[in-house]
Amino acid sequence: MNVLIVEDEKALTTEMELFLQANNFLCEICYNGATASEKIATNLYDFILIDLGLPDYEGLDLLKEAKKYNPEATCIILTARAAVDDRIKGLDLGADDYLSKPFSLLELQSRMQAITRRKFGLKHSVVALGDFNIDLTNRSISYKDLPVSGITKKEFDLVAYMLLHKNRTLTRSQLSEHIWGSVVNDDYDSNYIDAHIKNIRKKLNAYGTPDWLETVRGLGYRININS
Amino acid sequence: MVIVVLFVLLLPVLIRDINRKYTDNWLHRQKDKVLKTVRSQGIEKYIQNDEGFGSYNTLLKEEYVSMDVDSADRKIDTIVNERRLVEGDTIQYRILSHNFKVGKKNYLLEIGKSIDTINETTTPLQNIAFEILLGMVLLTILADQFYSTYVLRPLGRIIRTKLIGHKFPLKTPYRKVHTSTSDFAYLDISIHKMIQTIESTFQKEREFISNASHELMTPISIMQSKIENMFGREDISDEVKERLLEFQRILNRLKSITKTLLLISQIENEQFLKDDSVNLLELLQEVYDEISIRLQEKNIQCNIDVPADWELEQVNKFLLFNLIFNLVNNAIKYNKENGSIDIVGKLTNKQYVLEINDTGIGIDAEQLPHIFNRFKKFSKSLQQDSFGLGLPIVKSIAEFHRIKIEVSSDLNIGSSFKLIFPADSL
Repeated sequence: MNVLIVEDEKALTTEMELFLQANNFLCEICYNGATASEKIATNLYDFILIDLGLPDYEGLDLLKEAKKYNPEATCIILTARAAVDDRIKGLDLGADDYLSKPFSLLELQSRMQAITRRKFGLKHSVVALGDFNIDLTNRSISYKDLPVSGITKKEFDLVAYMLLHKNRTLTRSQLSEHIWGSVVNDDYDSNYIDAHIKNIRKKLNAYGTPDWLETVRGLGYRININS
Repeated sequence: MVIVVLFVLLLPVLIRDINRKYTDNWLHRQKDKVLKTVRSQGIEKYIQNDEGFGSYNTLLKEEYVSMDVDSADRKIDTIVNERRLVEGDTIQYRILSHNFKVGKKNYLLEIGKSIDTINETTTPLQNIAFEILLGMVLLTILADQFYSTYVLRPLGRIIRTKLIGHKFPLKTPYRKVHTSTSDFAYLDISIHKMIQTIESTFQKEREFISNASHELMTPISIMQSKIENMFGREDISDEVKERLLEFQRILNRLKSITKTLLLISQIENEQFLKDDSVNLLELLQEVYDEISIRLQEKNIQCNIDVPADWELEQVNKFLLFNLIFNLVNNAIKYNKENGSIDIVGKLTNKQYVLEINDTGIGIDAEQLPHIFNRFKKFSKSLQQDSFGLGLPIVKSIAEFHRIKIEVSSDLNIGSSFKLIFPADSL
């Protein structure tokens, strides 16, 4: 899939490109609004990531142009200027999502996938993990056709997030940013992820052993799928 | 007041003193009159053949004049109170004695005025003076009243509207206090200018925090991305990854502080809309779902007793969620193992009051006034992984929604946070 990154911070674009390429995206980068405007008018993209704080261009104007010339593209606004007004304006102008800096690259990918799923209504997606089946559409887990009961929304979110980033170790802070990202609070080092994982394991263990859910000692957690 | 009392007490003494001086003057004048007569008409007018002269008026013997040959050879010129025997009556007089020479002879002149007569005038004088004084006191009080209710009214208005109850940031434009006194107008405009200065300083501080936290977001974002990318690489050893994790933890701390400061500054700059309607019980349930894992960790019982029909109008749901989340989070954080939290809704004076009571370590009475200050960390707070911005968030959000917060706490027994919602948010 083609991604256009419009962002004037070179160091940040480097990392975004690195990450997205590793996840099989084709990236083009614009460091200013003028070139981005040209590219948007001539090329077709699947994703357009726009930083609102461009030095030469009003980011929201760029969004309008994107909607005009690239109506199929998924537009995500990235900004450090998290003014509430901008967020509303951006979404009104047709942005598909809004990520305020600093954001996790994993979160960016997760949003991109979620929008794609939403937009194109991907076929019923069920992922098999050993004898467990994770139904991403209906947000449920089953074991050999037996529904696993008691999985909370948060717990399912964690499993789905790890599944999306399968075979990759996710740190506790990456996981907690995903499930508690919108809460602004006083703690900066929450270990509640451990408690959640413990609960998930307990609930799954009542049916079978979830050996695909690995604790990576000292680092975090990962879901392993051998393809 | 002290002056008035002192004056009343001193009044008799003063009047007596004035009266005596007046009498003495009168005596001197009489003396001068007699001496003048003696000089012009000769001593013979009064004394013939060395026979003493005496005269007193009326039956009451209020005054008398006497002149006699004086045998003593000394100068006398005194005024004293003395007793004299006049026609069988002993009367207390104030007497001027004066001796003088005519030819070769010494004469002694005495002029007297009875003390009773003097006192007779003293008493009415004292009374008059007292009445005048009383009148003056009354007049002063009246004048004061007039002064403070009418003349000083603009001053009171300036104090009431411009000084007391002044809230920052300034939302209403400058309104002149109506006064015809130029001094008050000057005071009014001076206070206004002072407030403007304070206001702009506040504004600058807010802008600074806002800009600083915004500016920090991009570098933090870059660092976070770099760490994430490095962490995902297969060729990096777990040992290095553990170091990266520490790095990430520190970065998270920086991120949380910056995000929180930004949130507070956005609230203070009123960048949030208040157009949500929220069911309080549902909101509490959402917080509960979000936070239940923390309750579970410490085995804390959380009871919610709030009427299901409490709706809050014109609020910001995101902010209210964060307000309650932070309060409940604190109630967990500073609670004991197996403790409990009671969330109770009470309708008091037609206002929703939400109480969050915990069985935690409590707050020192002397620390209580400072708990809403930014970056205030207390030695008692056992948790090391907080940076003292939880309650400042709560305070900013509460102020934004005009929610009053009351805190009470007993050390080692627990704390109670009361949220009093404004009557018009129902």
